[in-house]
Amino acid sequence: MARHTAIVDVGLDRLREMMRGNFSLAWMDANPQGWGHSATPGPAGLGLVDIETGHYAQIPDHASSRASPAPRGCHVPAGIASSDLHDLNDRSVLWSDNVARLYDEAVSRQWNSLTDVPWDQLGELPTDLEKALCQMCTGLAQAELGAADLTAGWMSRISPGFHEVKLFLATQIMDEARHMEVFRKRALANGGGLLIASPCQQRLTSLIRHAPDYAAAGALMNVLAKGFSLALYHCGSFLAPGEVEETIFRLCMQDQARHLAYGVRHLEWFLGHHPERTEDIHAILDAGEQAIFELTLEPQTIEPRAILAGDGLQDIRAGLSQVAFVYARQVREYLRRLKVAGVDRQSRIRIPVELPLGRVGAERTQERMR
Amino acid sequence: MSMAGGQLMSGAGSGEEKTAAFPSVEWFDKLAEVAAENEESYRRLGPFDCTMVVAADDQFFEVTLLGYGIESVRHLYAVSDAAPSHFTIEAPLAVWREMLESIRANGAADREHTLASLTFQALPMRVDGPDQLEIDVFYRYIHSLQTLFNHSAEIDTTY
Repeated sequence: MARHTAIVDVGLDRLREMMRGNFSLAWMDANPQGWGHSATPGPAGLGLVDIETGHYAQIPDHASSRASPAPRGCHVPAGIASSDLHDLNDRSVLWSDNVARLYDEAVSRQWNSLTDVPWDQLGELPTDLEKALCQMCTGLAQAELGAADLTAGWMSRISPGFHEVKLFLATQIMDEARHMEVFRKRALANGGGLLIASPCQQRLTSLIRHAPDYAAAGALMNVLAKGFSLALYHCGSFLAPGEVEETIFRLCMQDQARHLAYGVRHLEWFLGHHPERTEDIHAILDAGEQAIFELTLEPQTIEPRAILAGDGLQDIRAGLSQVAFVYARQVREYLRRLKVAGVDRQSRIRIPVELPLGRVGAERTQERMR
Repeated sequence: MSMAGGQLMSGAGSGEEKTAAFPSVEWFDKLAEVAAENEESYRRLGPFDCTMVVAADDQFFEVTLLGYGIESVRHLYAVSDAAPSHFTIEAPLAVWREMLESIRANGAADREHTLASLTFQALPMRVDGPDQLEIDVFYRYIHSLQTLFNHSAEIDTTY
């Protein structure tokens, strides 16, 4: 039999002492400041906001990397080695005041594509509409998967001193994964399939991936891109050919709006603590706007939307007016969200605030509205 | 006909027909009763934490939604009297009436009368708020809000 290692010998020595009745029990008194804590559930149950009080609500401005990944509020013994997992340790670049509440909202408003979508109500569509819907789903699945991966990359780097942010991002990753799954399912479920990937979406994802820091990436993804998605999902719900698609877009809207709530308040928090970085945010938004404009007008992005809006290929030109309506709303709401975050972008925006389509198909749009 | 937000559960224990005029505090109180009788359907969707102002012509009602139902209802003289954090759903009374009559007739909103459809182009129904983030709260709860209005099918509404 091989000799034990030193680690095993130490462990066995401890076990022998315990068998003689010699226990340490030092851990029982290790954290007197954190002992005696209790919580009162809120109207919806026991939320994160209900338990993070007193000693546990002391959120550090700078989290020690030595404590990583020990949970915030516990006693960290001297000599503990850092895991080196977390290099985002400054509250000023991560936080938002609504994040704990948004986490509670996220975990209690999860849905699933197995049972919450009435798949049995899928009906056959004309080929042009099915292809348009499948292409739209292809693009959205691509965007959502990229968003999940990008969010996961940042989440893993955030110190557990700010576990509220980590936990919220975990729900966001789950949301993005579910969106990817549900759009993929819709594309594959009704006689169609996936169509073509979007090079412009890849460029937008890459831009976010290479953003200089978390705040810049957040401004691009959780303010610009999510805002454009929310209006698009509302449009998808309006134009949905059936109950399945209407349900999918309505449920996705809830998630996107929640991500925006974090994104906007996070940007506001960041610039409140780093006003000197305002020009950097403008610079990254300059690039982001170009990328999202390019994506919006890419054939595999705009044409399916116009076909769905026109109720078929033969009225694709008329459908462009609906696309233009959504685009104008996307830009308007984007500027308003930035205003909430403290960024006046009205005079800086580098893309048109409206698509110059004139009144092509306006009558058709009005007809659909009626 | 397709329905949004699922079919209604029958109200447990309420045998009486609920009658009220829309819009009124009494009407929203009746809606709160129906929501309470169907709390399980809201638990499945997740809790509320928002304030909605319903504007019909020149009448305003503040509906505070908390947990799994309606916490309070208040008549307002103006939207400016509402809690600072709120969103407003505004439409002519005729539009509200058409939506509620559709829900009453069908048990839930049909595709043409969902909140999402009616508000998409800001016509005939518009969502507004003190700022864009407050407006976005409407979208964070849109599935639950649709279920709430679908529950008005159990109210015999007069106008």
